[in-house]
Amino acid sequence: MKLAAVDYVILAVYFAFVIGIGWMLRKRMSTSGDFLLSGRSIPVWITSLAFIAANLGAQELIGMAASGAKYGIMTAHFYWVGAIPAIVFMGIFMMPFYYGSKARSVPEYLKLRFDEKTRGFNALTFAVMTVFSSGISMYALGLLLHLVLGWDFNMSVLASAAIVLAYTYLGGLTSAIYNEVLQFFLIVAGFAPLAILSCQRAGGWAGIVSRLPANMTHSWHYMGSASENPMGVEIFGMVAGLGFVLSFGYWCTNFLVVQRAMAAENMSAARRTPLIGAIPKMFLPFIVILPGIAAVALAQMTGAGGAHLYDLPTKLVDGVVKPDYDQVLTTLMSKFYPAGLLGVGLTGLMASFMSGMAGNVTAFNTVFTYDIYQSYIKKDAPDSHYLMVGKMTTVVGVLLSIGAAYVATMYNNIMDLLQLVFGFVNAPLFGTFLLGMFWKRSTGHGAFWGLLSGTSAAFLTWATTVAEGKGGIFGNLHTFPSTMAQNFWIAIMAFVTCIVITSLVSLMTTPRPDREMEGLVYGLTNIRHDEGVSWYQRPATLAIIVLLLVIALNFWFA
Amino acid sequence: MLDLRVPSGLFFLILGAIVLAVGLLQPELRAPLTDLNVNLYSGLSMVAFGGFLLLLSRRATRK
Repeated sequence: MKLAAVDYVILAVYFAFVIGIGWMLRKRMSTSGDFLLSGRSIPVWITSLAFIAANLGAQELIGMAASGAKYGIMTAHFYWVGAIPAIVFMGIFMMPFYYGSKARSVPEYLKLRFDEKTRGFNALTFAVMTVFSSGISMYALGLLLHLVLGWDFNMSVLASAAIVLAYTYLGGLTSAIYNEVLQFFLIVAGFAPLAILSCQRAGGWAGIVSRLPANMTHSWHYMGSASENPMGVEIFGMVAGLGFVLSFGYWCTNFLVVQRAMAAENMSAARRTPLIGAIPKMFLPFIVILPGIAAVALAQMTGAGGAHLYDLPTKLVDGVVKPDYDQVLTTLMSKFYPAGLLGVGLTGLMASFMSGMAGNVTAFNTVFTYDIYQSYIKKDAPDSHYLMVGKMTTVVGVLLSIGAAYVATMYNNIMDLLQLVFGFVNAPLFGTFLLGMFWKRSTGHGAFWGLLSGTSAAFLTWATTVAEGKGGIFGNLHTFPSTMAQNFWIAIMAFVTCIVITSLVSLMTTPRPDREMEGLVYGLTNIRHDEGVSWYQRPATLAIIVLLLVIALNFWFA
Repeated sequence: MLDLRVPSGLFFLILGAIVLAVGLLQPELRAPLTDLNVNLYSGLSMVAFGGFLLLLSRRATRK
């Protein structure tokens, strides 16, 4: 793909704006709360879009187009089943405790509700995870830019990291959130035309349906048995594993997204943040997945002279030519975008990378400053000290991410392994929060041992089952048709184990007195009902609208 | 507090103007798989979106 001068101009304008926003916000950063928490003062439409954009990294854009080409419309399950219900649950049922408890982070909530060791476990694993996930996405972007544009890997990685550092250092979380909104708009502006053009060229949805195997254009029809659908997943594993454990674990307990809602200006806005964000979220599949599906249809169409309109990109794996789905998005862009719009699309890709990375860095510096530094290293310093630590941690976080990106270039397998391990840690987390928020009898010891045993159960499930030649280091009790099915079942086993062990240990240990848990647990919390708020602004109304819309989408593409 | 609608509105006005200019100055420019002057239409929509954001922000400050 070749870029024209105008494409570079567009990229430069974008860089100037993101840094400019950080520059304009720099004067407002006078306390650690301003820098790390945005002083809880951001308007709701901004937090809502940032809530979605922080999660919309470059890997997601590239990966969703790739999955669209590989699995078809079933990929939308990651949105309609694997995100929306969890987002709604978080806004309605969990946000009152996060926002109302005055905790500054998710690990701090665990400290208030349970005890120090549960917080320590969560804060440490989360900090390591954010650094590695921003490193992995930096690696993915550097590789892609090198492959597609021939840019130097080092230069792409270092330049984009420097820009993220500049605006997060200047304006902290507010700057990250503001830029995430700009990035969200840009991602839509850069990729919506691709969806429209590719779909139109493939003959519209009807044209795509007529050219693709039926199990790629129906999201539910072929879910009855794992062997009939391209993902190799059956309905129970999908709904319980992805739709329940994994998605609730991510959207309800991952500080990266929860932090955006916690920056809202009041409780009602904090609860509406995920709900309003859910509306653009459910339509994102049309922008990120549809081009991948259309690509498969285009690859079967011939133009003048009998040549294929489009060839799916390929790569060599051990001497065998295999499809390289990760390049679907960029190759499609070069087929549909002339100079000018191509620059917008490419800038959109850079924007998605930056929003993902800034999300990780701003979550990392908050958890490190409050949950690790202030709790274990230096307790009673003046606030200006923690502001300085927060700023330093931002620099260190970016440097560590760059380090992680280079680790990934050297040991690709180590990154796979790390992602696997994080999966083990994350899977049981939702169980801990569910019991913590809704069962006042659960105790700190219960939570800690539940988390540990849930993590072990995840590992054991992986170690005793095999999917696509992966796992099974302790033997093979069961073979899954795909690694995706294996992941879903690992999550289910971890969640159930966590719930059972937390409950048993809690019943055997001394409960905390009720008065210590006011505002932290359901039943001991006075959740303010939204008096004085017009009916259409109430969280419950919004939740019903969101759920009706998503049900309609599922039926439409069933 | 900085009103985000102002910088984002300006950003899309500038971005849209650049893309629109390419669409007007090089109307024959086409990507391999499309017959449309893609730059013209997308430039116009970005300018409209930028203008819309600025309009919202002006209305909010006038109150």
